[in-house]
Amino acid sequence: MWKFLLVAILAINHCNAVLESDANTLVLLDNLAIRETHSIFFKSLQDRGFKLTYKLADDSGLLLSRYGEYLYKNLIIFAPSVEEFGGDISVERLAQFVDDGGNVLVAGSEKSGDALREFASECGFELDEEKAAVIDHLHYDVSDTGDHTTILTSALNLIDAASVVGNENRKADAAPLLYRGTGLIADKENPLVLKLLTAESSAYSYNPEQSVSDYPHAVGRNTLLIAALQARNNARVVFSGSLQFFADESFTMAVQYAQNGAFFKQAGNRPVAESISKWVFGESGRLRVASVRHHKVGEKNPPEQAYTITDPVVYTIAIEELVQGKWQPFKANDIQLEFVRIDPFVRTFLKQTKSGSYEARFKIPDVYGVYQFKVDYNRVGYTHLYNTTQVSVRPLEHTQYERFIPSAFPYYTSAFSMMIGVFVFSFVFLHFKEETRTGKDDKKTQ
Amino acid sequence: MNRGSKILNTKVAGYSSLITFAVLLIAWIAGFSSRLFAVIRFESIIHEFDPWFNYRATAYMVQHGWYKFLNWFDERAWYPLGRIVGGTVYPGLMITSGGIHYLLHILNIPVHIRDICVFLAPVFSGLTSISTYLLTKELWSPGAGLFAASFIAIVPGYISRSVAGSYDNEGIAIFALQFTYFLWVRSVKTGSVFWSAGAAISYFYMVSAWGGYVFIINLIPLHVFMLLIMGRYSPRLLTSYSTFYILGLLFSMQIPFVGFQPIRTSEHMAAMGVFVLLMAVAALRHLQTVLSRNEFKKLFIVGGLLSAVLVFVAVVVLTMMGVVAPWSGRFYSLWDTGYAKIHIPIIASVSEHQPTTWFSFFFDLHILVCAFPVGLWYCVKRVNDERVFVILYAISAVYFAGVMVRLMLTLTPVVCMLAGVAFSGLLDVFLQEDSSKRLANTVNSVQEIDEQEESLEKKSLYDKAGKLRHRTKHDPTHETGISSNLKSIVILAVLMILMMFAVHCTWVTSNAYSSPSIVLAFHNSQDGSRNILDDFREAYYWLSQNTADDARIMSWWDYGYQIAGMANRTTLVDNNTWNNSHIALVGKAMSSTEEKSYEIMTSLDVDYVLVIFGGVIGYSGDDINKFLWMVRIAEGEHPKDIKESDFFTDRGEFRVDAEGAPALLNCLMYKLSYYRFGELKLDYRGPSGYDRTRNAVIGNKDFELKYLEEAYTTEHWLVRIYRVKKPFEFNRPSLKAKDRLIPPTNFISRKNLKRRKGLIRNRPMVVKGKRTLK
Repeated sequence: MWKFLLVAILAINHCNAVLESDANTLVLLDNLAIRETHSIFFKSLQDRGFKLTYKLADDSGLLLSRYGEYLYKNLIIFAPSVEEFGGDISVERLAQFVDDGGNVLVAGSEKSGDALREFASECGFELDEEKAAVIDHLHYDVSDTGDHTTILTSALNLIDAASVVGNENRKADAAPLLYRGTGLIADKENPLVLKLLTAESSAYSYNPEQSVSDYPHAVGRNTLLIAALQARNNARVVFSGSLQFFADESFTMAVQYAQNGAFFKQAGNRPVAESISKWVFGESGRLRVASVRHHKVGEKNPPEQAYTITDPVVYTIAIEELVQGKWQPFKANDIQLEFVRIDPFVRTFLKQTKSGSYEARFKIPDVYGVYQFKVDYNRVGYTHLYNTTQVSVRPLEHTQYERFIPSAFPYYTSAFSMMIGVFVFSFVFLHFKEETRTGKDDKKTQ
Repeated sequence: MNRGSKILNTKVAGYSSLITFAVLLIAWIAGFSSRLFAVIRFESIIHEFDPWFNYRATAYMVQHGWYKFLNWFDERAWYPLGRIVGGTVYPGLMITSGGIHYLLHILNIPVHIRDICVFLAPVFSGLTSISTYLLTKELWSPGAGLFAASFIAIVPGYISRSVAGSYDNEGIAIFALQFTYFLWVRSVKTGSVFWSAGAAISYFYMVSAWGGYVFIINLIPLHVFMLLIMGRYSPRLLTSYSTFYILGLLFSMQIPFVGFQPIRTSEHMAAMGVFVLLMAVAALRHLQTVLSRNEFKKLFIVGGLLSAVLVFVAVVVLTMMGVVAPWSGRFYSLWDTGYAKIHIPIIASVSEHQPTTWFSFFFDLHILVCAFPVGLWYCVKRVNDERVFVILYAISAVYFAGVMVRLMLTLTPVVCMLAGVAFSGLLDVFLQEDSSKRLANTVNSVQEIDEQEESLEKKSLYDKAGKLRHRTKHDPTHETGISSNLKSIVILAVLMILMMFAVHCTWVTSNAYSSPSIVLAFHNSQDGSRNILDDFREAYYWLSQNTADDARIMSWWDYGYQIAGMANRTTLVDNNTWNNSHIALVGKAMSSTEEKSYEIMTSLDVDYVLVIFGGVIGYSGDDINKFLWMVRIAEGEHPKDIKESDFFTDRGEFRVDAEGAPALLNCLMYKLSYYRFGELKLDYRGPSGYDRTRNAVIGNKDFELKYLEEAYTTEHWLVRIYRVKKPFEFNRPSLKAKDRLIPPTNFISRKNLKRRKGLIRNRPMVVKGKRTLK
């Protein structure tokens, strides 16, 4: 009974691993056999709550959206050799899907078709030439058939971002990753591309059946095995050069370096693939701003119209992270706040007060204008957190100036002495007229 | 004089005041009506640019009250700097119309504030003509005053700034100017504290209304100074000037925008200097009566030299210490007409700051410009204290009007006054009454007339239209100095000239000064029908309905007030050109390439860009024609990034066709103006992309905008609005086909409407016992 309950709770927890709204996933396949050969990967997705819809990539009934609403939030393309998608889907449509916030996981192979190449270039990387494969003569698996394309790459070649590749996976003693497929080339100009997994420094990407005559397109660590794009709208695209990477075989196979003989019971692929799938479908590394508040020190609400210059101000922002399908407080110590009017006038670290609630206190500068509280938190593996709140800062009102200032006291004195003087003078002028006459008389008498 | 007082009886006084009243009333009505062309042809609408701000400020004041207005911090202007409106505005105009609004509402007359604003200037033109009458009467005679009042009511030079809808400071300021001068002349004449305090109050109103008050505070000291030099010092002068100066100084410092300027800037120093000088002269005069001649001489020389040195050193030291601010740029450009063009392009870029052409003198003043020297000559010939004033007024105003078109406005009143004097003098001679009996019926009382006049004429006469008929009936057999035939001819000629003046005034008002400039009208040359172009309001209305409430709109500063007033959206720069560097930033954005200006625009949070483009309808006041000023102003602040010479061809021409400079053909302003214009064919025979304003086929036809997208273009393409894309709209910097290492294959889609199946190459088959991928 207890066990049953526990299992039920666990099951519920598992179902909640992905947000209900993000669960719908379309899987495009070359052939339905891939569903079987990659069953562990798909199973892990389903266990986490994804609703997978399997379709052949050339199915004439493919549909991404209906009546302007997307049917799927996520898309898995495990169809390396597709030349053209069927139905409603095309490369432009896919790009639009990304621009509208959809997540895509794509796996290619040495024989990648045209559709994938076009889509890759839309995302800022390229698949290497047809038939080219990543070759590493020093780090290949014992199971390799001779052309050294079944390579092993150390877990340390994963990107240094726990939210993408998992906490446990990037370690020196972790099992290496088994890979067989083509290399990817990233656009150097593109700042949004993430190099999730690179090959060893001894690797290169070339057609194994030909002798090397040209300089390979990708050499050493520049050979990307798995690349990702986190677009500016936080849609995520992961491109793998190898479909094999996600296969059951790679998940379960024991690996051994052919050169130095180091043996591992199981390749590192499975946890890495699961972490990457969690990241690309937005289960991990997602941040959001829960609330933003700002007000003067000692008050509760922001001022109705505007702040006044030199006001002391409190800015509070609550940031949440999606963990296990629940929004939970996000903890970090490197979040900065800027107070910007064209240029930042104030730049300060936000201090964590409660868990996930960050606060900054500062004095508004002595310059009026329209400012923005700006939090721009951009870390690899996390969604780009960008929040601006516009406030006006006004100069002093005419009643807010100091009424009496010390330097004006001479003038106050002179004004009042003048008033008194005039009063006294008029008094004298009016009442001592006769005395002046008598004065004249006195003079005469003198 | 004696005879005059003899014939003076209540009946005559009654007639003369009736005539005065009637003439002034008619002048008021005529002035008011001739300013209504714009309202009748278009509608009751605020014109042009600055009036839109004044209207917005007035509406704000009426809605929120005076104190809110005084403390109004406008965050929608000069984004993100903001503008303290209460402290940077001359509030007289708003208070005047707000006061009228308040009064009418107390009387339960529900008039919308807009109508008050529209009709304020025409109403005040009547007050101007009355104060001109009063001033001229003080200076010369009531007859000249009536002439002057009638002239100023309809003269185009003044109408240009006071038609209905032209809700600007000048509309009420000219009244305040004339009235202050009247009170000043009165106070000099009488030496009464009452009149000079009145002049100070009127001056206060002027200060609150218009920055042109500087003219008063320099002209009156100049008058005093001249009187001192001419040896016309009198205790009256001392009383009136010291009262006026002290009160006026204190009053003027009450206006927040003026603040401490009257004691800190060079423009106001002359007044203070004259005040000190006057005090010194008065003290000397007093000493003269006390001391002996020799002592006085010594004291005078030593004291005079010492004080001169002291004053000079003090002014220099104070200026160098920065206590006294040096003259502002606008003031320098009054002396050196080339100054602004070199140093302050933003001042030179305004058309009303250009030097005046001789043509516009005639255009704005017509016959008055010929009669005005005559009047001036009369004044010089029969000079007295107050005529010195009008002479100085005339000379300085002529100079300033020659420097700046805008200052034609200060010249106009004095021209009207002196022309009134001239016509009055002329008719005095030629309408001379022979029979003293007839005088009794016609002449109005003219006791104020000076002795000189009496020596010239036995009787100075009244020159009214009503009496002219009377004069023509006049029996020619009378003995006079001038034959009556000649008289009638001259009178007829003068009448003809005056009639032509009236016709000219009406014509100019109707054709040149009655366009609201936000609604354009043109006549179709084929069928003569009148078409209205309402593109400006169309665009502003679109903005107000289709953009977010806090959307920020970048445009050249000319349109800032209109966008704020009509669309109620945030603007970056506007017609209150207080921050040159901010304007230069906008100018730089307009004259850079799209990529560079996108950086500027994102740093300024711009949401929309608005440009005015006249190429379709041939509207010449569009942004491309103003573009060189944007470049110049931007160059002034960013000389490394923007160079004016880049925008000219090798031969130094500014052209938009294929031979134009590449910097011009690729700058943002060009692209925004001519986006999609290359596809437009205006008529069947002409080429596409033909710009009617510049009469050229544009040079850069096919281009796409990357960082902006067209949001709205009005019916005649006059206003074009573009939306600036947000950074997330460039979601993924995709790899261009030409940048790719692996060249793309030219795959041709095989999908069509019926066959929707895709293609998978060598679809692998599941063969048991073998690996799927190999």
